[in-house]
Amino acid sequence: MEFIKDFDIKQALLHWAIVAAILVVLGALLGLVGAVTSAGIGRGLKAFGQMLGIGLNEIFVIVPRRILAVTILTVKESIRRKALMVGGVFLLLFMFAGWFLRSSANDTPAKPYVTFVFTTTKFVLFPMTLILACWGLPADIKDRSIHTVVTKPVKRSEIVLGRMLGYSFLVTILVALVGGIGYVWLVRQVPESSKEQLIARVPVFGTVRYLDRQGNPGNLVNVGDTWDYRSFMEGATNARAIWTFSGLSEADLHDDGALWMEQKFEAFRTYKGVIDEQIRFSVEFVNEAKKLVVPWDVFPVYEFSASPTLPLMKVPRELRYRPLDDADGEEKTVDLINDLLDNGKLTVRIGCIDAQQYIGVAQRDMFLRMPDRPFFLSYLKGMMGLWLMLLMIVVIGTTGSTFLKGPVCTMMTLGLAVIGVSGLREFMTEQLQQFTQNKGYVVGGGSLESLYRTVTWMNQQSPLPDNWGTRMIKTIDLGIFRVLELLQGVLPNLNGFDTQAYVANGFDVPFANAVLPSILTLIGYLIPCYILGYFALRVRELEAK
Amino acid sequence: MQADSVIEIRNLTKVYLDFWGRKKVRAVNSLSLDVKKGEIFGLLGPNGSGKTTTIKMLLGLLFPTEGDLTVLGKPAHDVSKNERLGYLPEESYLYRFLNADETLEFYGRLFNMSAKQRKERRDQLIEMVGLQHARRRQLKEYSKGMTRRIGLAQALINDPELILLDEPTSGLDPLGTRDMKELILKLKAEGKTVVMSSHLLADVQDVCDRIAILYQGELKVLGTVKELLESREESQVLTSKLSDDAIREVEAVLKKHGASVRSVSHPTATLEDLFLKTVEESKAHPGRRFTPDTKG
Repeated sequence: MEFIKDFDIKQALLHWAIVAAILVVLGALLGLVGAVTSAGIGRGLKAFGQMLGIGLNEIFVIVPRRILAVTILTVKESIRRKALMVGGVFLLLFMFAGWFLRSSANDTPAKPYVTFVFTTTKFVLFPMTLILACWGLPADIKDRSIHTVVTKPVKRSEIVLGRMLGYSFLVTILVALVGGIGYVWLVRQVPESSKEQLIARVPVFGTVRYLDRQGNPGNLVNVGDTWDYRSFMEGATNARAIWTFSGLSEADLHDDGALWMEQKFEAFRTYKGVIDEQIRFSVEFVNEAKKLVVPWDVFPVYEFSASPTLPLMKVPRELRYRPLDDADGEEKTVDLINDLLDNGKLTVRIGCIDAQQYIGVAQRDMFLRMPDRPFFLSYLKGMMGLWLMLLMIVVIGTTGSTFLKGPVCTMMTLGLAVIGVSGLREFMTEQLQQFTQNKGYVVGGGSLESLYRTVTWMNQQSPLPDNWGTRMIKTIDLGIFRVLELLQGVLPNLNGFDTQAYVANGFDVPFANAVLPSILTLIGYLIPCYILGYFALRVRELEAK
Repeated sequence: MQADSVIEIRNLTKVYLDFWGRKKVRAVNSLSLDVKKGEIFGLLGPNGSGKTTTIKMLLGLLFPTEGDLTVLGKPAHDVSKNERLGYLPEESYLYRFLNADETLEFYGRLFNMSAKQRKERRDQLIEMVGLQHARRRQLKEYSKGMTRRIGLAQALINDPELILLDEPTSGLDPLGTRDMKELILKLKAEGKTVVMSSHLLADVQDVCDRIAILYQGELKVLGTVKELLESREESQVLTSKLSDDAIREVEAVLKKHGASVRSVSHPTATLEDLFLKTVEESKAHPGRRFTPDTKG
């Protein structure tokens, strides 16, 4: 469930505002320096002031009719230049994909099918979008057909917007078409036995805290995994993972009167044991206000299952139990809603049963499952994430094409996209976090220090010798880190748009945490890109070779 | 700006720089001139004299290094001046994947014209330039002449007050050239101002009121065609056909008044006139052909 992330809208808006303000100031300074350098102080200042005034007018005062004209032109240009033949490639792939995905046992889970549809859509539409966005304007400028446009009362801002809208329209049509074909294919190709996995679960996550093996608040253990997403609790000890779910009420019960829970714990065996028997965990409900501890049941971990969906734990409205301190006493009954909820909060305590075995848990490994939404809706939202990602490419590519030639713009946009979707951006973020938290120290140093260590066969922990060369290396590395800090706020994280993991794993794509961030990110880039594209086209001599 | 000036150029200079900011070429050097409302103004000069550079600075496609430009009362960089301006580039840089209808519809949308107005104007212009038969064909299938004509149509889509024509007769056959010149005169008759740059001198001489000759970016000559071309040192008298005796008597009279006779010959028509006359007669008499006995 590591693909599920939270989104803090206030933090995001604040971050955007800070970065935007810095960019505006930097841009203005750059413009001023350019004007003064080329025309002298007096004329340069006058030209800068004039350009600023014209710019503010032309950016904000735009005529939809002219933008529509450029949009229609862009669409016609792309269609008549056969840019949409890519749809044929897509159909071809889908015609034969089923041969390679289906296993002979006919029990292939639905996940690879879903992943295939999204991945294929992305990889087929991405290059087409890249080429359309990056080559349109440069070709227009090179052919000089733009001369007959800019000599009409059309503002450069309207040309930039018109182009962006035109390519966006084409991308929308293609995503709709390809997404539709993909959905039909998916529904027909997924084996009957796996069709139940085409669902859209709506999880409600809680917060988790841990008790160590002595039963004291603390942390669980790391069993040696470098990925510390999960912590592990030892069986037959007082180690516990305690979830608290808030905001619950009777309305959250399903039609069968039960509260549904799901888990995706991991297991770690210190000895093999009976491999057919799963590691088990106990579930208890706790109401601290009423000093109530209700043991419920014991469940297996399903450590060997590849399915994204596991058997549900359905908590009935009425729970019968024997108190832990009175195992032979009378069976009691509690009401889930009236007795176990504390102001809408439900506390669930998990413990590992089997001695010397461990169960790995993370905050999102257990959740309450609300009534499912239709799979189609989740699929649609997943496609929407892809659509928004392609629109980002349109925005960045079109902006780049206002000041770069086609091939260079393509390389730049492709480079930004690769950084955005590969692990490079995350790697950069990790390095910068280390840099900030450790006051400038990063294990292995920066780029130049790493190169030095590689060439001299030095390990990451040994201190560098102190001489003028290594001091210079550290100074340059520090500068590079500062630049990366600035860039981090500007480089787009295209991975954030990818919501296929939700769909493939049978979860509903949450609007607030998955779709809204993508929409806001797109808008956050659109505004500065539009302004940059406008000024780049405005100050450019379109006739200059 | 003077009340009757449509274009005012003051000390206009354009210097092209290389990538490193070093001066490469001084394309226009301290050019100053005015274009008056309602006149046809010719901008002449050999290749590289700065004609097209000047026009492009007027349109905002290039930025002046120094000097001031005012077009229709507004600075050259003001996009709103283009509402009343039309431009026919040297090569018709149009979108080759559009047909004539779509081309004019696209450019029409860029002006404040209703759909009805655009349709009327489209039909009118396509008829004017004689492209009714090809209005649904994509421009990539057009001949050069047809492309020039649709280029002219887009330049006039907004019924502009000022029309800038860069080499308007380039690539046109004599019929097309004649039509273009007639159109330019018609535009003048409608009160429009036309600025044309060309190195086809005969075409300029036929239509322009005033001309400017540029050379290496500098203004060398400016004035009306009549003033500049009229040779006041000589007189010319055109008569009906004279016999040899009559010619001798005329020569004697002129000699008596102190004039020297430079030449006596039959005036010649222009090749253009011959061509046009031949075409007209061929249309009127389709079967007629040249025979050695036929005179032109």
